[in-house]
Amino acid sequence: MKLIVEVSPHKKADYGIPWLMKEVLIGLAPVILASIIFFRIRAVFLIISCLLGAVISEEVWMRLRKKPSSLRDYSAVITGILLALVLPPKLPLWVGFLGGVISIILGKQVFGGLGQNIFNPALVGRAFLMAAFPVMLTSWVEPFSLDAVTKATPLALWKFSKEFTPLKDLFLGNVAGSLGETSSLAIILGGGYLIMRKIADWRAPLGMFLGMSILSGIFYLVNPLGGSILFHLFSGGALLGMFFMVTDPVTTPVSKLGRFLFGLFCGFLVIILRKFSGLPEGVMYSILIMNGFTPLINRLTKPRPLGR
Amino acid sequence: MKNVFKKGLWENHPIFKQLLGMCPTLAVTTSAINGLSMGLAIIFVLNFSSGIVSLIRKFIPPQVRIAVYTIIIATFVTLADLFLKAFFPSISKALGPYVPLIVVNCIILGRAEAFSSKNPPKLALLDSLGVSLGFLWGLVLLGSLRELLGAGTIFGIKVLGDFFEKWVVMVLPAGAFLVLGFLVGVINYIERKRR
Amino acid sequence: MKTLRVVLVLTLVSVFSAGTLSFFELLAEKRIAENEKREIEESIFTIVPQTEKIEEVKDYYKLFDKEGDLLGYIFLAEGQGYQGPVKILFGLKPNLEELLGIEIISHQETPGLGAKIDSGEFKQQFRRLRVLPKIEYLKKKPSLPNQIQAITAATVSSRSVVNILNKKIDQIRKEFKKR
Repeated sequence: MKLIVEVSPHKKADYGIPWLMKEVLIGLAPVILASIIFFRIRAVFLIISCLLGAVISEEVWMRLRKKPSSLRDYSAVITGILLALVLPPKLPLWVGFLGGVISIILGKQVFGGLGQNIFNPALVGRAFLMAAFPVMLTSWVEPFSLDAVTKATPLALWKFSKEFTPLKDLFLGNVAGSLGETSSLAIILGGGYLIMRKIADWRAPLGMFLGMSILSGIFYLVNPLGGSILFHLFSGGALLGMFFMVTDPVTTPVSKLGRFLFGLFCGFLVIILRKFSGLPEGVMYSILIMNGFTPLINRLTKPRPLGR
Repeated sequence: MKNVFKKGLWENHPIFKQLLGMCPTLAVTTSAINGLSMGLAIIFVLNFSSGIVSLIRKFIPPQVRIAVYTIIIATFVTLADLFLKAFFPSISKALGPYVPLIVVNCIILGRAEAFSSKNPPKLALLDSLGVSLGFLWGLVLLGSLRELLGAGTIFGIKVLGDFFEKWVVMVLPAGAFLVLGFLVGVINYIERKRR
Repeated sequence: MKTLRVVLVLTLVSVFSAGTLSFFELLAEKRIAENEKREIEESIFTIVPQTEKIEEVKDYYKLFDKEGDLLGYIFLAEGQGYQGPVKILFGLKPNLEELLGIEIISHQETPGLGAKIDSGEFKQQFRRLRVLPKIEYLKKKPSLPNQIQAITAATVSSRSVVNILNKKIDQIRKEFKKR
């Protein structure tokens, strides 16, 4: 008799990837809406160009490899949108397009396609753009301004000039930053939906929340200039990463404890990078670094049969 | 005879097929001119050391052969280093510690151990010439691509117009890995097509 | 017998190697020293074009013009940049209160970003810059004579240059005062 060993759940519903991706799209809707409210037409164009880059390269790659088209599973669409949400609004559109192509080709397809990639594709795209065009990726604009008034992000203000942005602005999103990271409210709404519908596992976000809170809390007690817990949670890409990146089923551990640990260490890394590195923000790098540890965490947290 | 020479140029290409000598390959190919100078330095070192190893191959006691090869290679590497420092100080500065590091380049020790210590000088020279020329074109190609994308120029000559936005990553270490991986992929693809 | 052969071959090879190297080293030595000296001199002339005579004193250089008047001093400062050590050659006026200019001798900053510390635009800012009470860097247009504007998106590299200079100048001023 052939025995199949696999992780739970063993009973599978007839849901599949397209259904899952559509649900994620619903979860992303408030974030996209907020980005359009704050950055107007720029946001629309940037999202479209990232989307096009991702979708076109996915289709071209599948045709070149003579495989059936995978556009129907919406994964390229999600990758494109997630990428746009972590890019600065002023970015030239062709850079967004290039980012979409890199995300799909370098982030996903070279590893063998959906489910095989080690690193979060959208973040791979952003990391590439960050290394290739560092000036563009670190110039931000004020929300609501069509003529692109440059403004530093709350984290940059905190790191380089010790200025604090009011929490109310951080919560609503009336600050400079990447398209989808400014409005904490919208992210909590969308992310909350995903967790309620059990699309996203709550353990990784909880871990990240605790990791960031513990470390930033300690630093705050030592020196209030380190920034309060709420400041760190609401600024930069922390919440976006917490709800939409560390919950990615492909690049994070499979076990429950593993997911929690993954989030926890992400949270620690975010605060460490924000505090001690040359850059003000560290969410992207901490998630990518932890993606690399996923196989190790899987191995360490493998569920053991009772009694062993 | 001819086959020995041609092998290093494509079939057994040191960079793209054997993936040897990665340290200079990845580190110095930030521009076409750097790739070219490193390639020339390797042509000099590899051919001289191969020739000499082959000439004295019958006198080298097997227990100390690696030590003897290393001394011979190090001699020519130091010569190349002195020459660059004296006559091309700017290139010497750009290549930095990677010229002295040719001593530990696997290609050179590899050719000495695998080929020139077992073959007469004529064959050994043909082999080393092929391998070092193969290395040269690999480095120049890698350097040109990285310079083109990273600075919009090739050999310092502007190729892409002002509209071009430089991809800084290409002249950083990450760019070296990306371009090398891409080229190995392309060459494997060509190889498969030819069969 | 076997051991003797090993010793003999190794000795011969080493002697051959040492001989060749010392011969060529002798040939190249002078040129290499000249190259190094020329590099420093060229940088000095870029900083102070009207220099006529350079006098080397222990660890710095004194510059004189045509009339033999003291133009200033040249010092070498070294410190940590964003990615590696940064070496800066800089000139100070005889009163030690104003910079003549700076030249970056070597650095390993990010190409296209931090590497702009070696651009004319950035270095130009240090010409006739006041060093008292200390050099400061801003992220906007400077307003005081002791301020420079940091390079966009490369604040760390700019700050390193300023810190390296401030530290060395402070040290120099203390040493000169003692005399």
